[in-house]
Amino acid sequence: MTVTPFDEMLLDGGRPRTTHAAMFETLDGLGAAGLSERARQRDAYLDRHGITFTLGERERPLPMDLVPRLITSGEWQRIEAGVIQRLHALEAFLADIYGPGQVLADGLIPRSLVTTSTHFHRQAWGIETPNNVRIHVSGIDLIRDEAGDFRVLEDNLRNPSGVSYVLENRRTLAHVLPEVFTHHRVRSVSEYPERLLDALRAAAPTDIAYPTVVVLTPGVHNSAHYEHAFLARHMGVELVEGRDLYCRDNTVWMRTTSGPEPVHVIYRRIDDDFLDPVHLRPDSVLGIPGVINAARAGRVTIANAIGNGVADDKAVYPYVPALIRYYLNEEPILPNVDTYDLSDPEQREWVLGRLDRMVVKPSDASGGYGLVMGPWATDEQLAQAAVDIVAHPRGWIAQPVVTFSTCPTVLEDGRMAPRHVDLRPFAVNDGTNVYVLPGGLSRVALPEGSLVVNSSQGGGSKDTWVIDDGSADDRHAVTEAPEPTAGAAVPWPVTVVPKRDNSPTSHDDRIVQQERQQQQSEAPQGSISC
Amino acid sequence: MLSRIAESFFWLGRYVERAEATARLLAEHHQLLVEDQSIPEATGCSVLLEALSLPNNDVSTAQELVRVVVGSELDPSTIAGAVSAARANARAIRDSLSQDTFEALNSAHLALSRGIAFTSSPGVALHRVLERLLVVNGVVDWTMPRDEAYHFMVLGRELERIDMVGRLLAIRHDLLWPSSGPAAALRAAGALSPFLRSGKPINGLDVRRFLVLDATFPRSMRSCAADAEDAVRGLQRQGVSDSSLLLREVGMLRSELEYARIPAVNDIEKFIDEAREASQRAGDEVNRSFFRQHGTIVWSH
Repeated sequence: MTVTPFDEMLLDGGRPRTTHAAMFETLDGLGAAGLSERARQRDAYLDRHGITFTLGERERPLPMDLVPRLITSGEWQRIEAGVIQRLHALEAFLADIYGPGQVLADGLIPRSLVTTSTHFHRQAWGIETPNNVRIHVSGIDLIRDEAGDFRVLEDNLRNPSGVSYVLENRRTLAHVLPEVFTHHRVRSVSEYPERLLDALRAAAPTDIAYPTVVVLTPGVHNSAHYEHAFLARHMGVELVEGRDLYCRDNTVWMRTTSGPEPVHVIYRRIDDDFLDPVHLRPDSVLGIPGVINAARAGRVTIANAIGNGVADDKAVYPYVPALIRYYLNEEPILPNVDTYDLSDPEQREWVLGRLDRMVVKPSDASGGYGLVMGPWATDEQLAQAAVDIVAHPRGWIAQPVVTFSTCPTVLEDGRMAPRHVDLRPFAVNDGTNVYVLPGGLSRVALPEGSLVVNSSQGGGSKDTWVIDDGSADDRHAVTEAPEPTAGAAVPWPVTVVPKRDNSPTSHDDRIVQQERQQQQSEAPQGSISC
Repeated sequence: MLSRIAESFFWLGRYVERAEATARLLAEHHQLLVEDQSIPEATGCSVLLEALSLPNNDVSTAQELVRVVVGSELDPSTIAGAVSAARANARAIRDSLSQDTFEALNSAHLALSRGIAFTSSPGVALHRVLERLLVVNGVVDWTMPRDEAYHFMVLGRELERIDMVGRLLAIRHDLLWPSSGPAAALRAAGALSPFLRSGKPINGLDVRRFLVLDATFPRSMRSCAADAEDAVRGLQRQGVSDSSLLLREVGMLRSELEYARIPAVNDIEKFIDEAREASQRAGDEVNRSFFRQHGTIVWSH
C-alpha cells in the first residue's frame, strides 16, 4: 500500500496531536515495562470477571488495548448527527418496504434487489410496530479515511453486538490504568442499559402499563452470551431461552415457578431465521413457535423487528445516501465508502479486471466471514472470488481498499505501534429520541497492517472516549455537567458523621508496655482498665 | 467466658468488617473519581475522608486518597489499621480461634504491612486485600462453632456493618455524581446485582431505600439489625448476664426498619441517622453489659 493511513494520535514525525499530548506523556512515562505490567493486570482482571466472548469452542477475553481512543466533542457531534440521520432514513425505508412500498414504485431502488435479499422476510409484511420503531438498537460501523473523515463502512440493524465491551472496557481501563484519565473529561457510557430498557418499554404494546421485558439468548454456547447476560443483569430483566417461552392465544408466556407470566417485549439476540419455526426455519429449536403471529396481533413486540436485515444488506448499502435524500430531503452527513454494484454488467467487468485491488464482501454476511482482501489474497482465492461473482453477482459487493485510520496500540512486549481501528457507535431508538452512546466500540486489527477488525477474526478493542474539549459548535448540546473549578471550594451536601468507636484495649500503650516487660512470666489476666 | 475474650471476639468482628467495607468503598470511590470527573477531584476525596472520619490534609488526587485510606497500622479507621487491630484482637484469643481463621487474618495483615504494591493500580491492589478478608469471613463461617464467642463476633460485625452502610450513605454519591453515583454506591456495598434483580430503576432514592430497608439483601441496615438481634438472642440462650437493654436497642431498630412505611426522601435520611445512633447505643450497651459491668473494680492512679 502506498497510501499513508491517518494516525489519530501522532502527526507525521511522531509528535502527538495537541488533543493527545497529555495522554501520550502519561503512557510514555510508564514505559514498555510499566505497560507490560499493566497489560498483565488487565488480563487478570478480564479473566477474573469472565469478560469473554466465545470463539469456536473456546471462551476467551476480548483483547482490550491499554491505549484509549480519543474523539473530540466536535467530531462526535458530527458522528452523532450522521448516525441519527441515517437511522431515520433506514427506519422509513423498512416501514416502506414492509408496508406501502412507495420507494419501489418510485423506482429508487430495484424491487428485485429487495426481494432477493436473504434477510427480506415476507412474513414480516404488514406487521406494525407499536411506536413505529423497527431498529431499536443499531451499530453503524464507521471508519476514518486517509483524510481523517468519518465514513460509513456498513450498517448493522439486526443484532449488533459489542456494547457490553464498551461498558466493561471503561471500567477495566479505569481499574488498571487510572493515570490516563487524569487530564480529560470523558463522557460517561454507564447509562446505556437504562436507556435500552426505557426504549424497550416504550416499544411495548400500547395497552400495557407495566410491560415485562426479556432478553432472548440462543444459550451459553453463543459467542455473545456474555453480552446477553450482561444486558439482562444490568437492566434487571430475565434472560430467557426459547424453551422458557411459549405462545398461546397470540400471547407469549414465560414458564416460572409461580406459573405462566405474560411477556410483552422480547429483546431477542437470535437471528430471524431461528425465531419462529412456524414461519421461518421449521427445524429451529431456539425460537418460539407462534411468536410472529403474536407480534402481528400486537400482543408482543420483537426488538429488533423481523426482516431488518434487508436494510443492512451490503447490496442495499450503496443506495442509502439516495434513501436519505428521498425520505428526509437532506444531504447525508456521513458519506459512504465507494461501492460497486456487481449485478451491473459494466461495473462487474471493471471490478473483475482489478480484483487484486478490491475488497470483495458477501452481501448478506457479517462478522468478516467470506471477506476477500484483494491485495493480500492468493491467486487461487482471487480466481475463486471471480468465479463466485460471475455465478451469483447479487451475492457480492466490491469496494476499493480503504486505508482506514490507525491508533497506537500496545504490543506484547509493551512497545506501542500503530494499528488500524474502526468505530461502531451504538444507537438506541425509543420512538421519540435516538440516543447514541458516546464513543462506542473501537475495534482494532491486532496483526501488523491488517485491516480486518472483527472479533471473530482476531480483532481487539479499545476504550473509546468522547472528550469535552470545547470543539463542539454548541457546548451545551454535548455537556450537561458543571464546569469543574479546580481547587475552589464546591459546596456538597453536609452530613454529620459521628466519631468512630474503637476498641479500648488494642491501643492501650501501658498494657502493651507492661506485657512486654513480662517476657519471662505469664501475662497478667487481671481486669486492669482505664 | 472471660469478658476480655468476649470483647476481643466482638472487636475482631467489627474490625474485619470495617476493613472489608472500607476497602470496597475505597476501590469503588476511586474508580468513580477516575471515570467521572463531574466534580473536582479534591472534593471527591474530601467527602470520602470525612465519611470515614479521617483527617484531610489537602488530599487532592485519587492516588493520594488511596494512600491515606489504606493508611497505617496506627489508625484503626484506615484499612491497614483495622486489619492490624483485628489481628491484635485475634492474637489475644488465639487459643479460642481456629488455626485457619488466624492464618487467614495473619496473611491479610502481612500483605498490608509489607505495603500494598503501588506499582500496580490501586484497584488491583485493593482487590488483593479484599480477597484475603473474604477468606477470613469464609473460614469463620465454616470452622467456628455457633457458641458464645461466635455470637459476640457476629454482633460486632453487624453493628459495624450498620455503621459502615451509614458512612457510605453519608457520602451522597447520588447528589455528587448524578449519573454514575448511585450505581457506585451499590457496588461499594456489593449490592449492584441484587438491586438490579429487584427490577427498580437506579436512582438515588431507590438505592438509599434498598441499602436501608431491603428485606433480603444481607448488607441492608434492616438485615444487619435482624442479624444483630439474632446474635443477642443467641447470647441469651448461652446464658450470658442480663442483656435486656441491648436486646431492646437492636430489637427496636429491627422492627422500626422492618415495619417502616416506604419512606419519602426526608424520612429515609431520618432512618439512616436513627439506625446509626441505635448501632452506637447498642455498642455502648454491649460494653456496659458484658465487658465493663457496673461494679467492676478498676485500678486507676
